[in-house]
Amino acid sequence: MKAIIKWSLKQRRHSIFWWSLAAFGLIFINMIFYPTFKDQAAQLQKSFESLPEATLQFIGGSSDFFSPVGFLNSQIYFLMLPLILGVLAIGLGSSLLAREEQDKTIEALLARPNSRTHVLLSKALVGGIILAITTLVSLVTTAITAKMVKLDVSSLRIILATLACFLLVLCFAAIAFMLTSFGRARSASIGIATTFSLGGYIISSLSGTVSWLQTPSKFFPFYYYQPEAILRGTYNWLHVLFFIGVIAVAGVLSWISFRHRDIG
Amino acid sequence: MTIQPVIVIEKLSKRYRGSQQLALDSLSLSVYPGEVYGFLGPNGAGKSTTIRLLMNFLQPTTGSARILGLDCVKDSVALKRSVGYLSGDFAVYPKMTGLEYLCYLDELQGGGNLKYAKSLAKSFKADLNKKLGELSRGNRQKVGLIQALMHKPKILILDEPTSGLDPLMQELFYAIIADAKSNGVAVFVSSHVLSEVQKMCDRVGIIRGGTLVTEQVMADLAKEAAQTFDITFATEAPVKVLKKIKGLQVQMHEANHVVIHMHGRLQLLFRVLADYDVVKIDSRTIDLEELFMHFYENKGPQK
Repeated sequence: MKAIIKWSLKQRRHSIFWWSLAAFGLIFINMIFYPTFKDQAAQLQKSFESLPEATLQFIGGSSDFFSPVGFLNSQIYFLMLPLILGVLAIGLGSSLLAREEQDKTIEALLARPNSRTHVLLSKALVGGIILAITTLVSLVTTAITAKMVKLDVSSLRIILATLACFLLVLCFAAIAFMLTSFGRARSASIGIATTFSLGGYIISSLSGTVSWLQTPSKFFPFYYYQPEAILRGTYNWLHVLFFIGVIAVAGVLSWISFRHRDIG
Repeated sequence: MTIQPVIVIEKLSKRYRGSQQLALDSLSLSVYPGEVYGFLGPNGAGKSTTIRLLMNFLQPTTGSARILGLDCVKDSVALKRSVGYLSGDFAVYPKMTGLEYLCYLDELQGGGNLKYAKSLAKSFKADLNKKLGELSRGNRQKVGLIQALMHKPKILILDEPTSGLDPLMQELFYAIIADAKSNGVAVFVSSHVLSEVQKMCDRVGIIRGGTLVTEQVMADLAKEAAQTFDITFATEAPVKVLKKIKGLQVQMHEANHVVIHMHGRLQLLFRVLADYDVVKIDSRTIDLEELFMHFYENKGPQK
């Protein structure tokens, strides 16, 4: 297992660097503007409050944009961080195994005394590690810049919100990974996982204003991702069980399928 | 003491998902220690399917295969400690150097094989410091052969192993295989290059449409191949009469000219020919290609 993890990480080291740099840059640029927004908070708040409810749902689910929690929620945690990490997660989930299979390099791995479970688990761990590294860079950037711009939110809540985001995108990665372990093509896996995550975001955002979407929205991970509640300390942490459940089910289904299917 | 086969394939069949036809139909064969078994057949005949079933990349529909007494499905991990494999379309990570690739595979194999891998690289004149994506097909194939041989396996499963190698490297490869064979290594090799088969193999199996058409010992094949006659008659060739001769097969005839394969006693043929005005008779050594084409194209199973 160590060998696959080591060499896969080595192969993707440039990609890890660039993704981490992108996460750092985007978070940093958003965060450093907080003092400017804070100074004009009252005026901006007024104009934002006049926005339709559905629009508000798409940009943070709250009309509070310029309090420390409101800013962090709307600028970082509600959309940007899930978007950066989500794109990376789906990309990883749909390529870690599928690219090896598509390029036929997986044969060299399976021609050695390594079980398919071993290969599958190693690849899943590689995905988890890469996501964890990028998430950690995002967390450190957010926490440090929050201190720099005097954004008054506790570091613990920033850590918890980032952790929830990590679990959310891990769901997307697990779904993409599961589809490729079923033997789906990379493109199909990317398409389905993106539809699931983006669709979930749209449905969950609209469910606040469109009543009939409330029930279906509960089937998507985005519904259980409530960064504002986490940052305010009012989040129901039992919601995390949904993320863990999706990751576990996707993991088990990947294992069942990949263990005995034809390769290539 | 009877020598036990190290590769035993029993009634192995494979039907791909969504296909009505069997890609491999009830294949049975055995390979013994120190034997080089050539597996031949046209494209799509089932050679790669068989190899991929042996390597457990594919799951059999029915039947079983055992290598060194271990089941290819249930004991797939354990048996790969003793198997060296080279796929037909050997794929690599283009950004890795040859050395990095061999290090990676060595770690997956359990380690300790790099020294031998480097000595093989020296013999093959393989540049291990270049990125694999920058190597020519032949040079990549060298790396493929090195990774298959580097852990000194007891079984070698090779799909088109010399493809892309220059003649010098091919000779080196044959020497390495001969050396492995003398050490009791069993080699299961698929190939299209008949001269290579002739040079390397002890026995061949010919597969067509997923069915094993024939299995031949190379020495017998050569013997059989010698019994070919190219006969020109002064008048119309007596094809009907010739066809009645036991062990004779007419390969080609046109007007006064006939090409025959003769198995068994030649006097039966000459007794008939004595009654006709034969202008010219050539006994020629049939090349293997012609013989294989005979099996590839139009003949049913002949055991």
